[in-house]
Amino acid sequence: MDLFRRLFSQSGSKPQEKPVVSELAKNREALSADTPIPMSRVLEPTPVAPSLADIIPPTAADGATRPLPPETIISSSNEHLTFGQSTDVGMVRSTNQDTVLSLFTTSRSDDQRPDFGLFIVADGMGGHHDGEKASALAGQVVAANVIANVYLPMLKGENDADRMPITEAMIAAVQKANADIITKVPEGGTTLTAVAIIGDLAYVVHVGDSRIYIVTKDGLEQITRDHSLVQRLVELDQLTPEEALNHHQKNVLYRALGQSDNVEVDALTRRLPPKSKVMLCSDGLWNLVSETEITQIILGYSNPQEACDKLVALANTHGGTDNITTIVLHIPG
Amino acid sequence: MPDTTKFAGMGGDGFSDNSLQANVVLKSRYKILGVLGGGGMGTVYQARDLNFPDVRRLVAVKEMLNPNTDPALHSSTLKTFQREANILAALNHPAIPKIYDFFDQKDRVYLVQEFINGSDLEALISKTKELPIDKIVEWSIDLCDVINYLHTQPKPIVFRDLKPSNIMVDNFGKVRLIDFGIAKIFDSGVKKHTMIGTEGYCAPEQYKGDVTILSDIYSLGATLHHLMTRQDPRLAPPFSFPERPIQQFNPQAPDGLVAIIEKALAFEPPNRFQSCEEMKAELEKLRHQPQVIVMGDAGKGANIAGTDFFAGIEASGATEPKWKFQTEDEIRSSPTAYKDFAFVGSYDTNVYAVNLTTGAFAWKYATHGGIASSPVFDESNKLLLFGSEDNSFYALDYRNGRISWSYATQDRIRCTARIAHDHVFFGSDDGHLYALAAPNGRFRWKYPVGDPVRSRPFVTNEVIIFGTEIGEVFGLDLDGKRKWSYRTRRPINSSPYVDVNEGICYIGSNDNNVYALDASSGYSSLRFRTNGPVVSSPVVEGDLLFFGSTDGILYAINAQSFREKWKFTTEKPIVSSPVIHQGAIYFGGTDENFYCVDMYTGKERWKYKVNGPVTSTAFIANDVILFGSFDKTLYALPLVN
Repeated sequence: MDLFRRLFSQSGSKPQEKPVVSELAKNREALSADTPIPMSRVLEPTPVAPSLADIIPPTAADGATRPLPPETIISSSNEHLTFGQSTDVGMVRSTNQDTVLSLFTTSRSDDQRPDFGLFIVADGMGGHHDGEKASALAGQVVAANVIANVYLPMLKGENDADRMPITEAMIAAVQKANADIITKVPEGGTTLTAVAIIGDLAYVVHVGDSRIYIVTKDGLEQITRDHSLVQRLVELDQLTPEEALNHHQKNVLYRALGQSDNVEVDALTRRLPPKSKVMLCSDGLWNLVSETEITQIILGYSNPQEACDKLVALANTHGGTDNITTIVLHIPG
Repeated sequence: MPDTTKFAGMGGDGFSDNSLQANVVLKSRYKILGVLGGGGMGTVYQARDLNFPDVRRLVAVKEMLNPNTDPALHSSTLKTFQREANILAALNHPAIPKIYDFFDQKDRVYLVQEFINGSDLEALISKTKELPIDKIVEWSIDLCDVINYLHTQPKPIVFRDLKPSNIMVDNFGKVRLIDFGIAKIFDSGVKKHTMIGTEGYCAPEQYKGDVTILSDIYSLGATLHHLMTRQDPRLAPPFSFPERPIQQFNPQAPDGLVAIIEKALAFEPPNRFQSCEEMKAELEKLRHQPQVIVMGDAGKGANIAGTDFFAGIEASGATEPKWKFQTEDEIRSSPTAYKDFAFVGSYDTNVYAVNLTTGAFAWKYATHGGIASSPVFDESNKLLLFGSEDNSFYALDYRNGRISWSYATQDRIRCTARIAHDHVFFGSDDGHLYALAAPNGRFRWKYPVGDPVRSRPFVTNEVIIFGTEIGEVFGLDLDGKRKWSYRTRRPINSSPYVDVNEGICYIGSNDNNVYALDASSGYSSLRFRTNGPVVSSPVVEGDLLFFGSTDGILYAINAQSFREKWKFTTEKPIVSSPVIHQGAIYFGGTDENFYCVDMYTGKERWKYKVNGPVTSTAFIANDVILFGSFDKTLYALPLVN
């Protein structure tokens, strides 16, 4: 590796007492030159400060108070994740049983903490408002547990085996939500799909048929697996995806929260490519908006909130037969 | 059964709200006594037949709602019902309740049948802890008999919905089929709202609408699987029976019965029994036979015995080494090879080079301490690199063993080096990780950790990862600056493995766990607990992660989920790291065996007995497998598939 050789060639040949510090200093010098920037540098502030002229508009010199230039949701440097979120009751149902939650923190400090995001979609089911109660409880319990067992230790710089590993903590959070639903909303059930984003790693937990897609220029990839009867039949080559879309049992899930004391939670981690988009949604969206349309909209809007609004509007245009929920994330590149 | 009310088609359809009250008399003849149960499609009442005033003749009355408000549809549904009821009334089998009568009244239809005093199998499962296997075999035979009766009618009848709740065991211990699919006439079948729970017992082809007698055989298999394992298929992914091997939940299950159930549950209909008669014949073989004999002649079970049989032959001498090379002390570390040479370090202080084809001695290099680390070969500089317990690190010309350079640390070196980016990285017991220029041994930097470093570093384009004696895992920049650390609870001797594509680092600790860490941040995502310190270094192949533990087990787990795929148990701790080659895993045991295990199934292919523990990790070169043992010997086994 070229960078590596250059760094080494700058250090002296005799052993140094504090090689770590001196190497670091040289590292910074080296990086201000034309060397490629390694991964570790990406999270640090850019070393070159913008000039004052870039920040203060020239007209401000007269001292008058003027409106700030219009802000855009996407920062021009694109250095951290941005997101949009949208949920709608749809055109047919009278209540919205979906729950959606977005949380994102970003900081710049000497700690070099990675950015942290938590995004949850839950689609409740059950009459007498049990569906919305179950999904709300799921969102709340999962968020509280992930914040307590993943985010707070990270903020405090605690990283050791006395803490639950991240995926384990997220699975435990979903199981806690399941237990709470069984006690508090015994007649309700819900799907639960959540992703925690730490740096460029996505930690996903999933039960039910809400979905997560990763969208890049190369196309769209569904990374969760529907826990539905028809999806299982598709996986086993007993139905084609087209037959599944119109199957009379397409709404039958074999796994959801609130179903039994033990719930098996799918968990996976994915490294997110720079500039990729992530989309979470309930079945009210993916049942009505095709993957082609999803891809086009997500790649077509530079503002994730506009993409969310557009996706929900399209699902309603196509009938809005169920509650519609989506979150769109733009990963920095 | 509050925990099952959410299953599809199990109540909650509103019938209970306006069910008939006791003492109502239907058709001036059937006096309702009470509700027996609420099936998905209607309510079943117990009633007394008033045509028999002198005896208390009890009947079961099944009530179904005709949901069609359109008159034409209403009457066509009714006609279908009458046709089906007539067919049922003509059946005559001891395991089928007699149909006495059927009629319709307003928007409802009624079927009057023999009342069976007993309990259905679903209730029986929840009421009991265990059902006797010979009883299950008897019921299976009777069920095959009655289903075969249906299948062999002039117009074959497919039951469609065989499951424990549709099978009664009467007071005489005989099974009876109680809920014929007739009720389905009144079910539109379309599920408008999202529902949790599937039928669980249905054959896969039924969801495509291809229902044949073979679908009933699948459902019978599913029912028997539930009876044997007590694992409710409605709570599991559909068609996932193979993921719940019967003997895992019921070790008493005879191989013969397991084989029959598995065949009935074959995913593709042509692989199932082609008739209930055929299945019944197999079941009857289990009857009246001591189970020992059953196990012996069971067709399916014989495979496993066969594997063991061959393994025995291999172990007793079918695999003979191509050559052996004797050193003067224990070989604790791993060999390597380049071109015509095999290299190995011995605790006798020497590093040896021997001819790879013949095992003939080529040269040796003596240090002043035992060799506990493994020599590694640097291809770009053509140097053999290793550390010694004399505190020094050596680089030798591989052809003749002449020293090229050496570097002295302050304590013993027991860490195997890693060559990357034309540098060599290794740890010392003096508490540092060193980076030297590979061509000449020039010092670049050292990173102080304060504790011995014996875990071999893994180096990617961004990070150097290694563990320490205090149990900390470090991630350093390539310039030797700390990026992150993660503390486990016990020392780390295992070496990290980094899946470079995913950026995930796997490492074992003496705290019994294997951890998955984000290679760029050090945050842990998962851990897998074994019952002993993990000294063996993990290896990823495909989506599986392999490692040994001092609990004596070699584990294969899913690298994403950390769920166990299989495990292979040996007699003593496993310290050696697995090596994967063409679908096989090679590793040594401290039980003095060297093992070859199938990567996908975890079944032993062969083992080779040596005269000392094998902590050495194998090295595969050309057509030989090299490994050392505490019996002082370097072995070269032929690579056979």
